[in-house]
Amino acid sequence: MANEILEEHINSDYKYGFVSDFESDSAPKGLNEDIVRFISKKKNEPEWMLEYRLKAFAYWKTLEEPTWAHVSYKKPDFQDIIYYSAPKQQKKLNSLDEVDPELLKTFEKLGISLEEQKRLSGVESRIAVDAVIDSVSVKTTFKETLSEKGIIFCSFSDAVQEHPDLIRKYMGSVVPHTDNFYAALNAAVFSDGSFCYIPKGVRCPMELSTYFRINASGTGQFERTLLIADEGAYVSYLEGCTAPMRDENQLHAAVVEIIAHKNGEVKYSTVQNWYPGDKEGKGGIFNFVTKRGICLGDNSKISWTQVETGSAVTWKYPSVILKGDNSVGEFYSVAVTNNYQQADTGTKMMHLGKNTRSTIISKGISAGFSNNSYRGLVRVAKGASNARNFSQCDSLLMGDKCGAHTFPYIEIKDKSAVIEHEATTSKIGEDQLFYCKSRGIDNEKAIGLIVNGYCKEVLNQLPMEFAVEAQKLLAVSLEGSVG
Amino acid sequence: METIIKNTITDKLIAGFTASKNTLFGDGILREQAMESFSKLGVPGRKSEEYKYVNMEQALKGDLAAASPKPISEGQLNSLKVIGNAIVLVIINGRFSAEHTKFNNNIKGLQVMDIAEASGNAVFQKHYAKYADINSDPFVALNTAMATGGVFMHVEKGTVIERPVHIIHISSSSESMIIHPRNLIVLEENAQATVIESFVTVDASAKVFSNALTELFIDASAILQHYKIQEENENGYLVNTTQALQKKQSVFSTNNFTLSGSLVRNNLNIVLDDEQIETHLNGLYLTKGNQSVDNHTLVDHRKPNCNSNELYKGIIEEKSTATFNGKIYVRKDAQKTNAFQSNKNILLSDDGTINTKPQLEIYADDVKCSHGTSTGKLDEDKIFYLRARGLSEASAKKLLMHAFASEVVEHIKIDELRDYVEAKITARFA
Repeated sequence: MANEILEEHINSDYKYGFVSDFESDSAPKGLNEDIVRFISKKKNEPEWMLEYRLKAFAYWKTLEEPTWAHVSYKKPDFQDIIYYSAPKQQKKLNSLDEVDPELLKTFEKLGISLEEQKRLSGVESRIAVDAVIDSVSVKTTFKETLSEKGIIFCSFSDAVQEHPDLIRKYMGSVVPHTDNFYAALNAAVFSDGSFCYIPKGVRCPMELSTYFRINASGTGQFERTLLIADEGAYVSYLEGCTAPMRDENQLHAAVVEIIAHKNGEVKYSTVQNWYPGDKEGKGGIFNFVTKRGICLGDNSKISWTQVETGSAVTWKYPSVILKGDNSVGEFYSVAVTNNYQQADTGTKMMHLGKNTRSTIISKGISAGFSNNSYRGLVRVAKGASNARNFSQCDSLLMGDKCGAHTFPYIEIKDKSAVIEHEATTSKIGEDQLFYCKSRGIDNEKAIGLIVNGYCKEVLNQLPMEFAVEAQKLLAVSLEGSVG
Repeated sequence: METIIKNTITDKLIAGFTASKNTLFGDGILREQAMESFSKLGVPGRKSEEYKYVNMEQALKGDLAAASPKPISEGQLNSLKVIGNAIVLVIINGRFSAEHTKFNNNIKGLQVMDIAEASGNAVFQKHYAKYADINSDPFVALNTAMATGGVFMHVEKGTVIERPVHIIHISSSSESMIIHPRNLIVLEENAQATVIESFVTVDASAKVFSNALTELFIDASAILQHYKIQEENENGYLVNTTQALQKKQSVFSTNNFTLSGSLVRNNLNIVLDDEQIETHLNGLYLTKGNQSVDNHTLVDHRKPNCNSNELYKGIIEEKSTATFNGKIYVRKDAQKTNAFQSNKNILLSDDGTINTKPQLEIYADDVKCSHGTSTGKLDEDKIFYLRARGLSEASAKKLLMHAFASEVVEHIKIDELRDYVEAKITARFA
């Protein structure tokens, strides 16, 4: 095991940096009403969907890019982006044999072998995957197995065709198109994404997963995820992402909406590993994502877990609106920045119902020339009695050129609320390093060990498969950051 | 709509400056620059990140006349004196009152005068308006442009001033007005002093908006104890900026008590500009009615090996709003910094609001920095404990609130002042 990690250290710059060679079907560069109509037409969408897009686009034009985040970057030129790019497909696919072999190879390289999944379908532990390349969902596995239980798990465009009533009811109900600049942009030009509906009382038997991949050059990726857990339903959902190494900055502006009804529970885990740019800070993904869940019914629960190691600039605040009584919101995050990466990430917990609880655990690690900020809001509305929040935000600094920042906002309007927040900033203790080294563990490995221990509270929340990947990712991202 | 109101208020203040600028003391060019900066910054609206929880537009609405002198009686003044042996300096409506200030500069190494008459003083010239940046905050700009008077205090090298210096800011008016008191306190190397600034209203039947600014320069190895007691009445609106610069091995402790006033906004900025500096910031705010109290603090660690320690506590009653926004800034060079910050609040009513934003912005790796904040009600277990020992619920709560406040009050080193604040708190919860 130790050897493997070591080997990975040596070989690992960014192992997902390849470009797959398959033809793609793209819209011309630029953004205007025609492009919005083009995307809608391409997806063969009903009239109401197009109207929604145009409404969002009209609203987007009135907005200005937000600048309050503690990040600095060259503003993307929104007219220099390809808003639609899809791997070319001739016809609808029925089995994996018909999938472009180049595409399958891509997924194998990414470590998600669709074929293998198919073969192992009889085995207990398995994951249903919806793979999204350049904003288009290419294949969803285990669709049939899931549908036996009444679970709908498909690409967003399929859902628009097959379950328009659900889409119309829930889309934009948590993140409306008027929410913010990037949410409006996404609502106008989103090309695909995942849709999942767990019916009443069903506990989803397997982990559901989406794998996002930006492949084509000059494109932006705008996908939408909509997750609904009906009364008493449970689902654990995973999201992973990678992109090729390019000198240009590519934009990723996604929207994730989660709705948990009475007694419903959703666990959403992300391992974000977009290309972070090279050592000089050139290239990399701009990750501007709006993620929000609503605990609509009583006793519902939404839990966000994220491991953020990629992206040149991250701007992301997975939030929970605790509307139902006794509802629970959780946020566990590890954010690692190295070289010239910048992250401004955190969460919002809006306590509206009675007896609501939220927990925030955020661990930031900054190295190199990077800047890592936690920005969070805990709001207790008037009448949200007995709200309880505990927040802990720790930052670890490695090297004297990086920065770690904490910007918590706490707004309380109810006297029965009990809110605690604590934050610390420090570096890896010399005594900790000395302890490890005196036991024969070398510097690099000792740091890996200490960092993993520091993040343990969060990593423990991840599903098994992801936890292993995340641990390795942490070691790789910080490689060579302490000399 | 919002911008229209905002513009009118800004324009109104600019017009006030144009009307009175020829009557103001000191450097006309600096005043013009400050006003230009103010017209650029404008009155902060609700969208301004730094002023989002406090409604400045509302506070500055309506006609606000320039300050006019108003006499007060010796009896009224005596009731404001808290410390028997203090050197009392009086500022009425933003102007230094020579009549009421009995101090005649008979202490060696200490010089006190009206800031409006200090223009010729070399020390004044060296330090005035050098620390409060007119481009950073609209109220600093406004004060620098409009200042009418205040205290200039200079403690010479190695001088230890035993008697506390008590600066009493009195607002008194029967018509709405805006005043701009300005103080400059300079402690040279190895000097020691204690300064108390109190803010009170006397005979004020109309709105008084006070935009007060104090600059503090604390040179190497100097020790300054600084207290602020804010107890204006329901017509008092106070923006109080304190800008301090500390040099090597100096010790600065500031204790802020906000006991009343319709709106109080404190901007406390401390720059630690050398090594081995020690800084203590403590604050207590007790709010009720429709009061709004907003404490902003910034501790800027620029050099290595410094310590700062911050504790702010508040009890919020009725429909009042309290805001705490504290920032610890540790620059790249400031290795081995220890910086701690704590904010604790008790919310006693469902109509009250607490906004708290403790921030850390850190660019050096070998530091120990932490902040913590908690908000809650009075601990049920503690109330139970006291009731089991025969206290009524009301007196148990009173005792607990008093204990909560005491953690800040006990930092007061002058007995008479501590007794005074204690008595105020006791009366408040009686």
